Amino acid sequence: MVEPTGARGARADAAAAGSTEAKADLGQGPPDRRRAATMQTRGLNLFYGDFHAVQDVDITIEPHKVTALIGSSGCGKTTFLRSLNRMHELTAGARVEGEVTLDGQDVYAGGIDPVKVRRMVGMVFQSPNPFPTMSIHENVAAGLSLGSGRVGKAEKDEVVERSLRGAHLWNEVKDRLDRPGSSLSGGQQQRLCIARAIAVEPEVLLMDEPCSALDPVATLAIEDLIGELKSRYTIVIVTHNMQQAARASDITAFFNLEETGRPGRLVEVGATETIFTSPTVQATEDYVSGRFG
Amino acid sequence: MEGQVEIRSPLVSRQLRGGTLPARAPHGVIAGSLALTAAALAATGAFGIGLLMALGTIVSCIAIYAWSRAVEGPRRALDRLMTFAIAAAFALALIPLLSLLFQVTKRGLPGLDWEFLTGTPRGVIGGGGAAHAILGTVVITGVAAAISVPIGIMAAIYLNEYGEGRLRRALTFFVDVMTGIPSIVAGLFAYALFAIFFGPGIRLGIMGSLALSLLMTPIVIRSAEEVLKIVPNHLREAAYALGTPKWKTIVKVVLPTAFAGLVTAVMLGIARIVGETAPLLVTTGVVDSINTNPFQGRMQNLAVYAYSEYRTPGVMKQASYDRAWAAALTLIAIVMILNLVARLVYRRCKTEIG
Amino acid sequence: MPEIRVEYQEELEALEASALGGLDLVSAALSRTLEAVEHQDVELAQQVIADDDRIDGRYLEVHQALIALLATQAPVATDLRLISALLHVLKNVERMGDQCVNVCKLIPLTGNEPPADEEMVNLILTMGRQTRALIAQSKRSFEGRNVEMAQDLVRQDDAVDNLNRECFGLALELGDDPDKREWAMTMLLAARAIERIGDNAVDIGEQVAFVVSGLFREFEDASHPEP
Repeated sequence: MVEPTGARGARADAAAAGSTEAKADLGQGPPDRRRAATMQTRGLNLFYGDFHAVQDVDITIEPHKVTALIGSSGCGKTTFLRSLNRMHELTAGARVEGEVTLDGQDVYAGGIDPVKVRRMVGMVFQSPNPFPTMSIHENVAAGLSLGSGRVGKAEKDEVVERSLRGAHLWNEVKDRLDRPGSSLSGGQQQRLCIARAIAVEPEVLLMDEPCSALDPVATLAIEDLIGELKSRYTIVIVTHNMQQAARASDITAFFNLEETGRPGRLVEVGATETIFTSPTVQATEDYVSGRFG
Repeated sequence: MEGQVEIRSPLVSRQLRGGTLPARAPHGVIAGSLALTAAALAATGAFGIGLLMALGTIVSCIAIYAWSRAVEGPRRALDRLMTFAIAAAFALALIPLLSLLFQVTKRGLPGLDWEFLTGTPRGVIGGGGAAHAILGTVVITGVAAAISVPIGIMAAIYLNEYGEGRLRRALTFFVDVMTGIPSIVAGLFAYALFAIFFGPGIRLGIMGSLALSLLMTPIVIRSAEEVLKIVPNHLREAAYALGTPKWKTIVKVVLPTAFAGLVTAVMLGIARIVGETAPLLVTTGVVDSINTNPFQGRMQNLAVYAYSEYRTPGVMKQASYDRAWAAALTLIAIVMILNLVARLVYRRCKTEIG
Repeated sequence: MPEIRVEYQEELEALEASALGGLDLVSAALSRTLEAVEHQDVELAQQVIADDDRIDGRYLEVHQALIALLATQAPVATDLRLISALLHVLKNVERMGDQCVNVCKLIPLTGNEPPADEEMVNLILTMGRQTRALIAQSKRSFEGRNVEMAQDLVRQDDAVDNLNRECFGLALELGDDPDKREWAMTMLLAARAIERIGDNAVDIGEQVAFVVSGLFREFEDASHPEP
């Protein structure tokens, strides 16, 4: 069988892989329908030092659904996303007030280990960032080798294959797992990062503009993948591209700044269909219609 | 809109092509200027290589500028003039280095024989080799590196990954100050420290290593810190997002990514200390026999050996001087080999970032 | 706030004006149709039929432009609802034009010296004038996004429906003379056509409610008549 190349190949492959993956997953041990987590925030306020970046966010992120966060630049959607897996506090001076719960448990409560939180709430970033010193195999298994506990080689191989299949990348790289992660194209690298993220079996997957560095065909391949992944995970995706939010998400949340210098706020959240056909708030209407940037 | 007239600005030249000098013009100009200057100097009887070079350079610069300006225009003429001037400056900077290498090779090569590399002066009057010095240099430098590298790299990791605020700024400041310590001061410090415990007159290989490590550590710290800074933050974030603790991120992601650069940092440090003479004079002493134990007795090394062969030559003076030159050449060779090794390691282990 | 997507906005506004302008064309056609009915003017009827091409042309032109706008500008929310509504409105306009044509086609059928009944003719003319008012109000309600005005169209259309039933009753009474009967039947068809124009205007009113609220609800559902 000729190996399809590039992103076009990825789409063809995705179609082919989708059916084989369904069979593979049903045949193996763990059930395909994992229980994904619900996340909720209450009165969430985010600060960078004295600067109030995000104000009073109350939102429920529903399981097995894709929630898209949209809004103009600087309105705090990435800041909000990073607060969900306790990455916000990594910035010097960053501060969190309010509650963020994962299946009812407050992740910011005293005594909670942020490292453990990040295992349960994974993240995929804007520019694909595979570890340059590691091969494809090692990259996908990185979550296991960088975590606590030893994992045997056979188990690692199995996890790598399962994750790469889940990310629709297995067929393209199965013959070159030893090659460095950076030898792949942009779209493939991003799928590699997704495979790496799902290898540790998180309950929630956060994606910060995952397609903004990719060409249109690779973007559509990733969107298809996201649509598939939601059956196993809860997904939150930040995007600048409104059409992508419209295509790929079930729920859309619109963040907005009243003016520069003021904190960003959650203006409206609802079913994507409703937001894009009859939004209730005028500001949402203006933003999605492109009446203002 | 009626009567629209297209206005062509007369100031902007519409020509894309301009006149050009022939391809070999600069070479011709240099050759011609040198010839002309040489002739002029010979005629006035003030011929000298230095004068020839200096005047020849000036004449070439003037000539190329004038010619280019006439043919190509002022902008390109200035470009050519600057190219010449920069090339001349570069050549000027190279002269001492080349001359040094030439001299050392010329004078050191004759003395560089098997006897030199394997023999010692022990029991040989006015002769022998420098095997003890070579070994000594290797041991002393090795121990100094063994002290400096872990401390230096860990300090760099602290400064780059963990440090913040006042403490970090203070540490950086002191490290910068340490890079400027005169080497004799480092040597005296090491001597004084050991003299407290063992009395004056103590001479040990380890003291030399300690002094050298004082000089090497700040270099390693600063270079390593720069290398660690270059590791992109998004790699760390990728590891954090997988639920990796910070220390593991550093050990398994940051350090491997920066590995090639860290090797270079260490090489830079070694290059700094391998030829240091002053601190070793007061700490390791002079001895004629091989000693590879840094904790026991004097140890000879190439730098001090070259100095002592020159200062106190044996009966056959020329042979001693030859050996001194050969020792210097060996030192240069060692540094060069280390550098090549470092480059090879860098090329093989270099990770393409982003 | 800086103006963004100015060209797109202007294009959308122009297309709305163009689609609603079709209602003016229909109104004019209806006027001439009524005149032809009044004077039983066959030539005028022919002209109206020929001029329906303009209405059809308007339909095609605006329809094409709306599809292009959908493809290139990816409109959402109110813009999307507006375009959907305009597509419906265009269809209604085109149907209204066709109904005028239907009426005009009936006129020659009645022969050169038709046995016209004045009462019936007046009824039809009244229906026509009221329908013309309906059309004008539907246009105004769309332009002003006025849902109340749109809902009022139902009441006015009911009046036209009543007149249509009166026509039917009249036609039954004219039963004796076969020529007269034939003429009455033909005129009934004309009345029916005008009544359909009114229904189309109500449909336009429903679109107004859709654009404003995002909900589509029939003002008057034929299968669930008001008691």
